[in-house]
Amino acid sequence: MSVEKLAYLPGCPSEATALEQHMSTEAVFEKLGVELVEVEEWNCCGAAEAEDPNLVYALNARNLAIAEKDNLDIMTPCSICYYNLARTNNALKANEELRAEIKAIDPSLEYNGTITPKHVLDVLMNDIGPEEIKSKLVKKVELKVAPYYGCYLGRPPETAFDDPDDPVLMDQLIELIGGENVPFSAMKTKCCGGPLMMTRGDLAFEMARKILERAKNAGADCIALACPLCGMMLDAKQPDVEKALNVKFEMPIVYITQLLGLALGIDSKKLGLQKNVVDTKKILEKVV
Amino acid sequence: MPIKTWELDPNFKNEILNEQGGEHLTACYQCSTCTLGCPITELVPSYNPRKIIQMSLLGMRTEVLSNPDLWICAICQTCTARCPQNVVVGDVLAVIRRLAEKAEEAGEIKIESPRPLFETAFLHTVEKYGRLYDIGLAMEYYPKREGSFVAGQKAMMNDYMGFGMRMFLKGKMGPLGGHGLFKGLLASKIKQRDVMEKIFKWVEEKEK
Ligand code: SF4
Ligand code: SF4
Repeated sequence: MSVEKLAYLPGCPSEATALEQHMSTEAVFEKLGVELVEVEEWNCCGAAEAEDPNLVYALNARNLAIAEKDNLDIMTPCSICYYNLARTNNALKANEELRAEIKAIDPSLEYNGTITPKHVLDVLMNDIGPEEIKSKLVKKVELKVAPYYGCYLGRPPETAFDDPDDPVLMDQLIELIGGENVPFSAMKTKCCGGPLMMTRGDLAFEMARKILERAKNAGADCIALACPLCGMMLDAKQPDVEKALNVKFEMPIVYITQLLGLALGIDSKKLGLQKNVVDTKKILEKVV
Repeated sequence: MPIKTWELDPNFKNEILNEQGGEHLTACYQCSTCTLGCPITELVPSYNPRKIIQMSLLGMRTEVLSNPDLWICAICQTCTARCPQNVVVGDVLAVIRRLAEKAEEAGEIKIESPRPLFETAFLHTVEKYGRLYDIGLAMEYYPKREGSFVAGQKAMMNDYMGFGMRMFLKGKMGPLGGHGLFKGLLASKIKQRDVMEKIFKWVEEKEK
């Protein structure tokens, strides 16, 4: 295996709304024998709310610099943290002047561009790889899954690690663990509406509705995803979407690390499956 | 909309071109690919990123900066991924939003959307604690959006009643939840908060 140790950036939602994503990521990597070193005293990446690139670069330089001191590539389960880390890495690598300017803010922001930011899905499928994962599987997750990638894994091209319109990495992982992907191409990378939730909830709810509806009509047992903001919108807000639009989905939403964890034989409590808002008991019945 | 040539600002496109993300604006050849794939256009047919770019190139500064549609972009970057001319459409819109905020500060326009308030409240918590603090964010955002403390509390309750209860019951927020006794109720703070302050100060200086 090519990877033994990584710096780990859990991201702000890991402390609250996406606790189960954090728990399952740690549990899965432990099982796969990859050591995660949490970035000490990590800070917020600025999310989608920092629209000034300079702010994004300075905030993310700090997290990158901490990981670089340990000479470790940095991995995050959050798509937005990934996007911000990756574009900061690109910008700072290409621009010595900017590097110096950011270092001048505070010595702790000195980043020399020697490590690589990665998203969890990328590490699982491209660094650890399907063969290695397969050798550790002990159970089959016999579920019909709608694989939902959201925005920042395949877009923008500058930081993408999967196809922008028809990404495949999550599909492959689901098949690997015994699941079946339902037809979902039209929705795989369509925005969940998350960034508009607090300012245009009406639009955000409509966007979420389309995704939930398509998954339901395709006969999915659950939607699998890889971003805490998508999780917030599709899982934590699902009862609100149902109420506002007078619909019923009761569609379980799980992080891909939770599904993989089940196939690796990890206890469902350790994967936080009791913390997803829409009940996940029906999913557990299909783990054999 | 009739174009009044004497009101056009030929320098407006340069304002965008000079900002990070706006560099490829003039490569746009108006093909509409960006707009055809946009999930917001699908819901709001009048929403049109191609047109915002065209108006910017023409120099319709005030119309562009005061366009309420700027604030309903979901920043999903579909337009960016699809543009055949490598215009970073999503970032161009972000540049225009920041120019709009500056124009509002200068008293030139009025932004009707609450989104700048939300983003500012979000970033305030990052500046103060180094991490997002949901409750701090809500306590600043809602009263400002609603125009008073009382109305703000009411709107906040309305949005958060069900959601907050769900988070509490799942042990993600509130006493005894998650890893800590008061998870989510108290801010999670980093020690190097002085660095956060320095970062925000630097950005502010650079914006001037
Ligand atoms: S896709 Fe690109 S070239 Fe076509 S209209 Fe949009 S910005 Fe212009
Ligand atoms: S980034 Fe904005 S304009 Fe572009 S496709 Fe997404 S919502 Fe539409």
